[in-house]
Amino acid sequence: MRLALILLLALVLPLPMSAQVVYPPVRPDVELAFPQDEGAHPEYKLEWWYVTGWLVGADRARKPRGFQVTFFRVRTGIGEDNPSSFAPRQVLFAHAALADPDAGKLRHAQRSGRATFDLVYARQGRADVRLDDWSIRGLDDGRYGTVVRGEDFALELTLQATQPPLLQGDRGFSRKGPDPRAASHYYSLPQLRVSGTVEVGGQREAVSGDAWFDHEWSSDYVDERALGWDWIGINLHGGGALMAFGMRDSQGGERWAAATLRPSPARRATSPADTEEVKAFGQEDVAWTPLATWRSPRTGVEYPVRWRLRVGETTYRLEPLMRDAELDSRASTGVLYWEGPVRLLDDASGRELGRGYLELTGYGGKLDL
Amino acid sequence: MLELRHVSKSYGDRRILDGVSLTVRRGEYVAIVGESGVGKSTLLNLIAGLDVPDSGELLLEATDLARLDEEARTRVRRSRMGFVFQAFHLLPHLSVARNVALPLALNGRAGAEADRRVHELLEAVGLADRADSLPRELSGGEMQRIAVARALAHRPAVVLADEPTGNLDPDNAATIRDVLRAQIKRDDAAGILVTHSATAAASTDRVYELTRAGLTLRS
Amino acid sequence: MTATATVTMARRSTFRARQAVLDAAVVGPLRQAPGRTLLAVLAIALGVALGFSVYLINRVAADEVQGASRSLFGLADLAVRAPGAGFDEALFPRVAQVPGVAVASPIVELQVRLPGRERNLQLIGIDPFRAFRLQPALAEAGRGARREGQGLLAPNSLWLSPAAAQALDLEVGEDLDVQVALDRVTFEVAGILPPGAYRQPVGLLDIGEAQWRLRRLGRLDRIDLRLEPRADRAAVRAAIEELLPPGVQVVTPGEATDDAVRLTRAYRSNLTALALVALFTGAFLVFATQSLAVARRRREIALLHAMGMTVREQLGASLLAGTIVGVLGAALGVVLGALVARAGLAAFGADLGAGYFRGPASSQLDIGASEYLVFFLLGVAAALVATYGPAREAASVPAAAALKAGDEAPIAARRHGWTAAGFFVAGMVALALPPLEGVALPGYVSIACLLLGAVLLTPSLAAWIFTRVLRPEGAAWRQIAVAQLRGTARRATVSIAAVLVSFSLMVAMAIMVFSFRMSLEAWMERILPADLYVRAGSAAPGAYLDPAAQSTIETLGGVARVHFVRFVDVVLPGHRLPLTIIARPIEETTAERILPIRRSDPRPPPADTLPVWASEAALDLRGFDVGQVIELPLGGRVVRASVRGLWRDYERPGGAIVMDRARFIELTGDRNATTAALWLQGGVEPEAVGDVLRDALQRSGDYDVAQPGVIRQKSLALFDRTFAVTYLLEAVAVLIGLFGISASTSSQVLARRGEFGMLRHLGVTRSEIGRMLAFEGAALGAIGGAAGLGVGAVISLILIFVVNRQSFHWSMDVHVPWLGLAALSAILVVAAAGTAAFSGRRAMGDDVVRAVKEDW
Repeated sequence: MRLALILLLALVLPLPMSAQVVYPPVRPDVELAFPQDEGAHPEYKLEWWYVTGWLVGADRARKPRGFQVTFFRVRTGIGEDNPSSFAPRQVLFAHAALADPDAGKLRHAQRSGRATFDLVYARQGRADVRLDDWSIRGLDDGRYGTVVRGEDFALELTLQATQPPLLQGDRGFSRKGPDPRAASHYYSLPQLRVSGTVEVGGQREAVSGDAWFDHEWSSDYVDERALGWDWIGINLHGGGALMAFGMRDSQGGERWAAATLRPSPARRATSPADTEEVKAFGQEDVAWTPLATWRSPRTGVEYPVRWRLRVGETTYRLEPLMRDAELDSRASTGVLYWEGPVRLLDDASGRELGRGYLELTGYGGKLDL
Repeated sequence: MLELRHVSKSYGDRRILDGVSLTVRRGEYVAIVGESGVGKSTLLNLIAGLDVPDSGELLLEATDLARLDEEARTRVRRSRMGFVFQAFHLLPHLSVARNVALPLALNGRAGAEADRRVHELLEAVGLADRADSLPRELSGGEMQRIAVARALAHRPAVVLADEPTGNLDPDNAATIRDVLRAQIKRDDAAGILVTHSATAAASTDRVYELTRAGLTLRS
Repeated sequence: MTATATVTMARRSTFRARQAVLDAAVVGPLRQAPGRTLLAVLAIALGVALGFSVYLINRVAADEVQGASRSLFGLADLAVRAPGAGFDEALFPRVAQVPGVAVASPIVELQVRLPGRERNLQLIGIDPFRAFRLQPALAEAGRGARREGQGLLAPNSLWLSPAAAQALDLEVGEDLDVQVALDRVTFEVAGILPPGAYRQPVGLLDIGEAQWRLRRLGRLDRIDLRLEPRADRAAVRAAIEELLPPGVQVVTPGEATDDAVRLTRAYRSNLTALALVALFTGAFLVFATQSLAVARRRREIALLHAMGMTVREQLGASLLAGTIVGVLGAALGVVLGALVARAGLAAFGADLGAGYFRGPASSQLDIGASEYLVFFLLGVAAALVATYGPAREAASVPAAAALKAGDEAPIAARRHGWTAAGFFVAGMVALALPPLEGVALPGYVSIACLLLGAVLLTPSLAAWIFTRVLRPEGAAWRQIAVAQLRGTARRATVSIAAVLVSFSLMVAMAIMVFSFRMSLEAWMERILPADLYVRAGSAAPGAYLDPAAQSTIETLGGVARVHFVRFVDVVLPGHRLPLTIIARPIEETTAERILPIRRSDPRPPPADTLPVWASEAALDLRGFDVGQVIELPLGGRVVRASVRGLWRDYERPGGAIVMDRARFIELTGDRNATTAALWLQGGVEPEAVGDVLRDALQRSGDYDVAQPGVIRQKSLALFDRTFAVTYLLEAVAVLIGLFGISASTSSQVLARRGEFGMLRHLGVTRSEIGRMLAFEGAALGAIGGAAGLGVGAVISLILIFVVNRQSFHWSMDVHVPWLGLAALSAILVVAAAGTAAFSGRRAMGDDVVRAVKEDW
């Protein structure tokens, strides 16, 4: 859910200048419709599309690699009445990272730009977002394609959905804090089959894997008192999906938490308790407990990279694929966070239940704002 | 006629001349001898009107030079005096004839009469054939003969010669002594020769010795 | 002293002996005439200082132009640009997507007038998201609170470069008004850019904001491009060029920087030439003083010779003396030059007040050790070269003759008639050569040849005048003076040459500047025929008369007729410097009346061509000759135009083309105008119309309403300011020339003390001797001055018809400032006489009568 970046954008962009712009609020009674809700909702202040997943190549001896591709759209409120094609009404940002446990580090890249001509845009309708040579869009055959090119790596991937969209929160209305206005429209596409190529150092490699696709938009997302948050999106073995997040306040205490579980089809069929297909969990049902930390040698920031997570009756453990998944682009974009592939284990048995991504933000103290 | 009456001159505290008196008549040729530093040059400068005495009279044909201003003294010098120097001092870029004619020109005399006079003098010093030469083409003795001719060109009342033979060999010196005496006598001028040389002094009518005590006639 | 020293030399050890010789032959002569030595040192110092300071100022100017131009492009590999009208923004996505292009940064660029501030500011509209990848310093600006310069998106906001903030004396939070058309647009200064981003004064704003507020919707002026590291640059460039409409071009930042530097090169190279003249005259003065010293020390040298000093040793000693003068002078010169450069930069800026480089406000001057060294060595070399001739002469003094009493320097100066003729021929040949890379180098070479030839001809000239013109007649002092001049022809020649060199340069500059000024005045009279002019902005494309303002002016009471004129820059294929298009009402029949036409085509123009009139610069730089059909990129199309006539233009050295405005509007759709020329009804006062006009327009921007007389006055004032430096350099040259006379006379006066003493004995008055010296000085000054007048006149013609034409591409009519030249000549002769008499006075104290005792 990319909260780190969104929070920063909200604070950095001169949004107060746009007092006259009225952003539509996120309302619980809105029914999401597909595929038209895949595309952009330009009247809302913030919107993002992101994909995280695991990739394996032909070399089975190699550890799986994690990847993330994220596109953000911001309605700046600037130049609403400016007839120029360059008026910066809509600004797009994109981040991409490749987590390679063998290399023990994260490669990452970013792009940003205002919506102009056919070079930079986020279209309405089916998913179609482009930032120069970076893009994520729905293809004619129903799949999704994404292309990103960084200085030292490039991804060209297609994503095949295997399930209908997973509506987060209350039918896609996802609250982010005690204040009911802090909320977003939020759905996910878990269990995507990935194929494509990864290029590192000029070497192209065919890859395949599984991914998780989130799409979220909002006008009034941020709870001012939130300091940071922890998030996972896990593709469960057997076809299920688990999303959980917890927001921490300045005392480090839990301010808000929520989770959504779509059980694996096998379980759904066998367990009568799981007849209701998707379970949404509220604040009291979700608890995050750090188990071990990793200190970044570059920034000195300590991240809790191993967790115990309770969702309802179940207790999980989160084990990172690599400890160093810190993303430090403070020099150019001001962002410092941890984002990497994790395995979801059954806390008691240690059995692997699924694979996905963990995001940890707000650990660098106040993010140098 | 030139007459000095009780002429005194000091430079600062140094008294150079103290009550010097001297009379030289036309046609007379006298020598002044003396050691270096006794004031021969000062005396000469006073007579020439290049300097004025502190006291005393300096009469040139009834005119007291000491009473004249610089401008008037210069005019007197130009018209009434002639000079011969130890170092000749011919103008290097003027021909021999023009050098001799220089005093005539300075007195505004040019033309045929002046040319005749120049020729006459060159004849007298034996260098008529070198009239168009430049000084550097002449020997030292020849140059000084030209200088003598120049000193007499405008028929001065007084001819002052300061060591005229000092730079010359004995033969040339003898020639110059003769020429100088002959010309002074011929033009009826009052001649004063300042010299170290006893030989030179001997060519004059009277010899005065200048000492710290004053000017005394040698017998 | 010399004799004693030399005698002791024989008895002492070799070392001591050498020292004694050194003392006798080198240091002695220098110390013996400290004034003259000082003069020679000063001459070299002055020459080096002038050359060094002009070089430094030029270097700073070029560095700044270059650095500023380069800083505009940041890390870009290529730039698509169209000076003047810009291009359709639709080109941007097409260029951005050319394979091999990594970053494409669109830019809107506009010079705007700052109302109430009497100056312009370059505004740059950027897309910070793209620009920061080419200008990392912009991202630097985003460190901390701002990210990627996104704050630059803020509306109504400007970010100033440090140079702009300083020049405009603005701080963050203050407002800055800029003028668009005739209206004020207010921006808030939202920040000061980090120093690395832009070196010149610029205001930065968001490109969307710039297009909208600066009324440039749909237009771009530049696209900066960074290519993929492995891209084939030539191929990418070619692929981009395929996409470009006429009038739009691709350049590398290096090319653009070269263009910026080239724009001012003519001005700078002319300044450098003048500085070299100063060094040349300085060296000449050393030559003069050394020659005179040799003449004066003839016997001394002969004595050293006679005592066994070899010719080679004598040469060495003289050259060593020259080196000492050179080292002292050059050392003083570089220090002085650095100081002058610093002071000049601080006072006038890098363009010395000429208004060429409007840019950088503060000029930093860092001088490298090598720069000091080069100019130091140049000064020493000049002194050595100048000493060599006299040194050789000194070495070859015939001992026997020189030692003889009454000997003087040889009467006749050596003649160099054939060598002089050779130089004249070389000068003529140089005149026929084309300029070198836009610099009128052959013209300067020709002037140098002419000067050298004239200097070499001086002995013959002097000899002729001394024997044929000046006769030894009249008063005795006059006869002596003439004889003296004849007898010392060689010395006299040196003095005459010194005067000739400096005075001819002064005369040449005076005639050239006067011709230029008169031609400019006549030209302005011609191009400003109307009663009243309304101008939206000076050289600021952002300010213009929009159609609304035009119709207000047209319907104003008392106005009989209005001509609107539009100035727009275009670039032609194969040329990078822009050509100015001047669109105004003009027809074949009226052209002669409107423009200062030099030549025109009597034949009718070819069918389907646009009649245009080319300026002389357009002919020189682009070969647009009368009768020719040319292709002009206008409104994104290529238009065939026929050159109907050639006209003189002093405003745009890059060339200009005049065409009819109705056709211009048809072709480009640009209905704006830069200026309006108003003819008033009879009896209407221009002042009154000016007031009515302001009331009627009711626009908040600045615009000038001026009568032609005021414009002419201002332009001439600007002209005079531009030439102020030139006048200064001239004055220095003449001062050096007079130094020459003074040096010559004072050395001779010392040598002639015995002569003066004798003359005083002979009844010559002081004033007569003074008159004699003054006559000699005046004669030298007059001869040198007369020759200088002649040579200067020829040089001025070269300056007018070759150097100016090649440097600035404009012609001018020759106008001779007779009165000024007469006054200058009189001043020269009087100064020469005065200098000579003055040096005489000094040598004629009371003891001059005693000088008859001195042997030599």
